[in-house]
Amino acid sequence: MQTNLSEIFRILGEPNRIFRAYLFAFWIAVLFLFWLFTPVQGMPYPSEVWEAFQRMFASNESNNLVLNTWVTIKLNIVGLFLASIISLIIAYFSCLPFLQPLNQILQWFRYLPIVAFNLVFLSLFTIGWSMKVAMLTAGMAFFLITSMTAVIGQIPKLKFELARVLKYSDWKTFWTVVVRPTLPAMIDVVAQSAAMGWVMIVAIETFNRTEGGIGASIYSYSATNQKAEVYVYLVIIGIIAILEDQFFYWLKRILFPYTTIAERA
Amino acid sequence: MNDTDCIDGTLPTQAFLLEDLLTIDKVSKSFNLNNGKQLKVLSEVTLCIKNIQHKPQILSILGPSGGGKTTLLRILAGLDKPDSGNVSIHVGNGMRDVHVGDIGVVFQRYPLFDDRTVLQNLVEPAMNSGMNRNEAEIKATKFLQEFGLDNQLSSFPAQLSGGQRQRVAIAQQLIQDRHYIILDEPFSGLDPNNIHNVISLLQRIANQHSKNTFIIVTHDITSALIISDTVIILGKTSANEGSKIVKEYDMIEEGLAYQANIEDLPRFQQIRKEIKYVEFPKLATQN
Repeated sequence: MQTNLSEIFRILGEPNRIFRAYLFAFWIAVLFLFWLFTPVQGMPYPSEVWEAFQRMFASNESNNLVLNTWVTIKLNIVGLFLASIISLIIAYFSCLPFLQPLNQILQWFRYLPIVAFNLVFLSLFTIGWSMKVAMLTAGMAFFLITSMTAVIGQIPKLKFELARVLKYSDWKTFWTVVVRPTLPAMIDVVAQSAAMGWVMIVAIETFNRTEGGIGASIYSYSATNQKAEVYVYLVIIGIIAILEDQFFYWLKRILFPYTTIAERA
Repeated sequence: MNDTDCIDGTLPTQAFLLEDLLTIDKVSKSFNLNNGKQLKVLSEVTLCIKNIQHKPQILSILGPSGGGKTTLLRILAGLDKPDSGNVSIHVGNGMRDVHVGDIGVVFQRYPLFDDRTVLQNLVEPAMNSGMNRNEAEIKATKFLQEFGLDNQLSSFPAQLSGGQRQRVAIAQQLIQDRHYIILDEPFSGLDPNNIHNVISLLQRIANQHSKNTFIIVTHDITSALIISDTVIILGKTSANEGSKIVKEYDMIEEGLAYQANIEDLPRFQQIRKEIKYVEFPKLATQN
């Protein structure tokens, strides 16, 4: 106990796992207490949020919590999947100089607000599901391409030279040095972008409110100043975020077990 | 006895030099500096490594830091092109320009494929040289046993010590049946015990075939002298010039190659002193 207490106030200290769990619970409690006693106006009380949660959960109408959450989760999964595949292809194949300028241009697109292109998307896709998927995919892909290209850029030159010395062909070098070893880092990048997808959801679902979804609901509740309902969705997004992080961590550990091996001193 | 068979230990008769194996002909290399000037690193380096009958060959290139050793290594391996001059290699029945992959390189920090196990790090290059998976696995396992790594077959590179990584890196180059391998600073960062182990290992594996040629780039004078048949000293003759070969010691002619306890021989100590002065001329004027 004494050692763990001193460890948590030491730079790069190493408290044990149980103590880390306690610390986690402590900070959750601190934030909850802050929420409970906050002087900040505009935040509903936890009890109001709980009541709103029960109402929304029990509702048989379009504002049903489960229905709206599922619509958005589905959108996020499909959007993230498509964005990941497209970005991986563009990032990896940017090893070909021919595609490098295209990669650079697409990276610059991340500065542009995706909703500004709503008319372009509208002309390409029908309003509703396909348009939302396309907007989310494009929005996330610009960030994913940037991060994935940075991962590829960090591969040491020595690894390419090792492959050349071992007489590997260009394609074998590409697979052995570029693709295979960077896949675990790509999972980290996708995990980060998944969070970004949730930020974009509100803007994207606002344009297509007919199907509902968390973003559309947050927009509607905000417009009518129903704070507690908005916070119900924020809590749900928080819970999904934790589960999503854990999923990507698990996926990385299962697919690439060597990444959990600590480097020998 | 076949020309390519090896004799372990001291030769019963004098060593005979046969055909050229690797020739470096007037190789020069400069690099552009940020201030627009050029830095001459190598100036007309010329060297010929010949086949020694019934013996493998270990050649060391010694030189001070920044003396162009690594540049020469990269040109030898075909990783960099010289500004002028050329490097030729004996392949099959004749000489031709060196290509990347003709010469194996054990790089200084022993890069391996970190997402593959130790066994896979050897199996993949073996398969790349034409073996099927089964043959490659048998050969890789045999190599790893020989290198004292049979307990590490399923370990990942991150789990290995520096010495173990080095042995895997050497085995990785040898598994493609190469006759030429360059080692960049193989003794760097090792304690005397491990240096002794590396020297024994290299001498042992070099003996697998008489045409095996190890080129060691190092600044460790003692280790280079113990292990080598030929020691080349790379150094600058003037401040504005690049490095060139300033001295060459044929350890066979000196009677020091393939000898036990050569460190105790007076000629060994004399050569070591000479090299030190060639490498660091200021030391000579101080003494």
